[in-house]
Amino acid sequence: MTEFSVLSRLLAATAVLLAVTGCASNDAAKNGGDPYENMNRKFYTFNDTLDKHFVEPVAKKYAQYTPDPVRNGITNFFDNTGYLNTIANDLLQGKFTQTASDSGRFLVNSTIGVGGLFDPATSMGLKQHNEDLGQTFGKWGAKEGAYLMLPLMGPSSFRDIGSPVMDMFLNPLTYFASVVTIPAGVVSAVNTRANLLDATRIRDQAALDPYTFVREAWRQQREYDIYDGNPPGDGYEDYIEGQGDAAVLRVY
Amino acid sequence: MKLLKSLFAASLLLLSGLAAAADDAGAKTVVEKLHESLLGAMQAGSKAGFKGREEMLAPVITSSFDFDSICRIVTGRHWKAASDEQKARFIEVFKKLSVATYASNFSSFSGEKFQTEGSEADHDALIVRTTLRPTEGEPVPLNYLLRQTNGQWLIMNVVAQGVSDLSLKRADYTAVIKSEGFDSLIKRLEKKVADMSQGS
Repeated sequence: MTEFSVLSRLLAATAVLLAVTGCASNDAAKNGGDPYENMNRKFYTFNDTLDKHFVEPVAKKYAQYTPDPVRNGITNFFDNTGYLNTIANDLLQGKFTQTASDSGRFLVNSTIGVGGLFDPATSMGLKQHNEDLGQTFGKWGAKEGAYLMLPLMGPSSFRDIGSPVMDMFLNPLTYFASVVTIPAGVVSAVNTRANLLDATRIRDQAALDPYTFVREAWRQQREYDIYDGNPPGDGYEDYIEGQGDAAVLRVY
Repeated sequence: MKLLKSLFAASLLLLSGLAAAADDAGAKTVVEKLHESLLGAMQAGSKAGFKGREEMLAPVITSSFDFDSICRIVTGRHWKAASDEQKARFIEVFKKLSVATYASNFSSFSGEKFQTEGSEADHDALIVRTTLRPTEGEPVPLNYLLRQTNGQWLIMNVVAQGVSDLSLKRADYTAVIKSEGFDSLIKRLEKKVADMSQGS
């Protein structure tokens, strides 16, 4: 291959990429930030059917028969193996103090905490943080882009779609043989689902249109995470001008 | 003239802000009274049953929330188009739904505490920050937005861990109105209330 053809292929690829992302960013504003609602709803139904028939019943049994200390241990363990991703994103967001304390947390829990099963770091003042690639993009000003409902994985968006990929690459469990990673993945999924039983109970109790309910709750939760619990209030000007009630919708 | 007008507007805002600051004790009392009655319902638990907890909570909840404004906001632009009869029915079912939701979710007690963390004025509204503290695990931040109607502070919105009840309901309800109409929204909420009343 000549240098010229490599270059032209690169240029062509860039042009396609620009066109795609260009479309995506134009589309994102449509239909209240959910331009792919039809497709998203199909995936939502798919996920929900799978969940109601298989995952939720298993998670309920698991929650019923697993003693709380064991569940906490399992949650701690997977939180800890996923923590390198948090540390990397601390760094990418320029949160240097947090990078240091989270590194300390990872070291303490991996050693004194017996490979992460226990969480002695929290009582030592090394609080758990929640950071990922989507939040890093958000922190540097990236908008959500189009909302996406991913099959098997749930709510996401153009801004957040890279998060699970980075998470996977930085999770040490990924690099074990499949006899370890597959069962570990199953336990992790069931445990995560069990920890969400309260949240889905509230969804089932309150929501009329669960798809919309989940989208709104997910968006607000992400905003809250991006701003570390202190998102800027917005829309108050509209409210005092009597144009709308946007202000009272968001109080942080 | 324009300058005079905006000066006047600014001073009004300032005054209402000052008034709000002076009166935040009243707003805190509303929230704390609600929390007290929730604790009461939690402690009464399954002994009182759903009906018992509902009866305990109904008077406090109906007098603490600004249901007229809330109902207008959660139905968005469809409120204006609704008939007076639809509006009245919606407000009624929404009140019942609020009471039933609290009665079904605050149904057992294991040492939880509510704590008022502070308050701040935001224009003519007041934000009261509180936390729900379980005996173990992370506290849940609960922020209330209150506004004064006829001298009485009333709750407009509750934001639990960053998720706003009002905007969640608005998204959910307007989606239903758009696809099925206002009457269907009322019917489906009535069914929610009936379903919850079946609980214990």
